[in-house]
Amino acid sequence: MIEFRNVHKIYDTGVEALKGVDIKIDDGEFVFIVGASGAGKSTFMKLITHEEVATSGEVIVSNFKLSKLRRRQIPYLRRSMGIVFQDFRLINTMTVFDNVAFAMRVVGASRREIRRRVPYILGLVGLQSKAKNFPMELSGGEQQRVGLARALVNNPSLIIADEPTGNIDPELSYEIMELLTEINRRGTTILVVTHEHDLVQSFNRRVIQIKDGLVVSDTKEPEVAMYEI
Amino acid sequence: MRFNTLRFLIREGFRGMVKNGFMSAVSVLVLVCCLMITGCAYLLIENIDHGFESIYQENVVAAYAEEGTDKEGLAAIEKAIKSIDNVAEVEFHSKEEQLKDYSSDKDIGALLTDLEDDNPLPDTYMIHFKDLALFDQTVKKIEAIDGLEQVDYDSALAKMLTSARSMVFTVGIWIVALLLVVSLFIIVNTIKLTVYSRRLEIYIMRSVGATRRFIRFPFVVEGIALGIIAGGVTYGIVYGVYELVMPLVDLGKKFTPVPFVTVWWQLLVGFMGVGVLIGIIGSWISLSRYLKENME
Ligand SMILES: Nc1ncnc2c1ncn2[C@@H]1O[C@H](COP(=O)(O)OP(=O)(O)OP(=O)(O)O)[C@@H](O)[C@H]1O
Ligand SMILES: [Mg+2]
Repeated sequence: MIEFRNVHKIYDTGVEALKGVDIKIDDGEFVFIVGASGAGKSTFMKLITHEEVATSGEVIVSNFKLSKLRRRQIPYLRRSMGIVFQDFRLINTMTVFDNVAFAMRVVGASRREIRRRVPYILGLVGLQSKAKNFPMELSGGEQQRVGLARALVNNPSLIIADEPTGNIDPELSYEIMELLTEINRRGTTILVVTHEHDLVQSFNRRVIQIKDGLVVSDTKEPEVAMYEI
Repeated sequence: MRFNTLRFLIREGFRGMVKNGFMSAVSVLVLVCCLMITGCAYLLIENIDHGFESIYQENVVAAYAEEGTDKEGLAAIEKAIKSIDNVAEVEFHSKEEQLKDYSSDKDIGALLTDLEDDNPLPDTYMIHFKDLALFDQTVKKIEAIDGLEQVDYDSALAKMLTSARSMVFTVGIWIVALLLVVSLFIIVNTIKLTVYSRRLEIYIMRSVGATRRFIRFPFVVEGIALGIIAGGVTYGIVYGVYELVMPLVDLGKKFTPVPFVTVWWQLLVGFMGVGVLIGIIGSWISLSRYLKENME
């Protein structure tokens, strides 16, 4: 579960990116976050991943009260979530397999676990045949699927994706979103920031709209939300 | 930590070192210079102390009682000498005793048997000092004791060694401190390069929930590796140079250089220890700074 209670975020520069956000997202939901550029969507996501800290108010993520989070607990908060990046952030000197395995290695998984789990996850995102390829040898859509595989491999209960399709062709975006839907169907909570209205329209899901640092609409009827943007 | 994980982290550490070959070489070089000077200072001081020991063994000061002093007088003198602060030990050699010692030597023995009744040897006190730096004052105090005829000593060497020791020590400490800071600085920057070239990996590690300790590990391995290499190289150089140079040093009979075998492990442990320590501290500083400035 994710909960924001009157959350404000003011950056060191004085910009107030969030101006009192109250929101509750239950386990197993699939949520789109939409809004104009500079509205505060990425800030909202970064508060969840604890990459940024709220100036006031409380953020609760999978039973961690983030205002009271100790530094040594941060890794364990992060292990409960998988993060997907707009620019993929794959390590180009590693193969697809190693990129995914890396996420397991650095949290101390055994070689046996890695050998069993990585091919399974690559299969899930449809990349078994590309395991030995390097990221540069893949299309944008394929690279993002590697990113997704990496986010999934440690079996998180939450996926955080800030414009995961921002750097790939619209047709391929659809594929990625289908994958996220499939993952959600298996019980994982999904949070996706996107600018692509068509996608939001075709996946009939909860839509939270942020404008100037405030939640201005929160609905399960995408048409209503889109009207506002 | 699993063995597999450990191996992974250690390999990552070495990869970092190789990747920044040039900076790694520079850090090792600077660290070698630093360790070498530390080592030289240590060897010098060790040799000087060794020099003190030879003086000590040769009995620093011999004091002779006046002819004809009786038993009580001799005991009183011994007590007076012992009461001086800086005196570590006093050995009394009576004239009879000395005569007997000499007699065991065949040639002199023959000469001395005639003297049985008229022993010309003086009653002698062999006096060891605690601190040779106080040599002069102590000798003066001994000379002031009633009933002593003469005090024999060789203060020139003692003085020279005392001042040389303190000079080497002071100068050495400052140079070593300075160079340690410089080596630390260079190692911090070398590892910063690795950190920088791996910022994506570090970012990914943090985003999937690797612990700080885990993220640090490869960099600490890199620091330790640099330290061990520097320590080993320094040890080799110092050993070679010492073995080459010391036989050429000749300060007369009173002084023989410390053989390398007696200090080898202190040097090896010292070089490796300091090298590794600097490596660990350097990588720690480097990464802490980075982690502080970037995503918690
Ligand atoms: N690290 C930062 N330091 C200072 N100001 C920031 C920082 N990050 C974002 N901001 C500011 O906060 C506001 C919200 O930014 P945010 O990145 O959350 O917007 P966004 O909704 O994600 O926009 P976009 O759709 O363009 O990604 C903007 O005015 C932005 O300039
Ligand atoms: Mg954004």
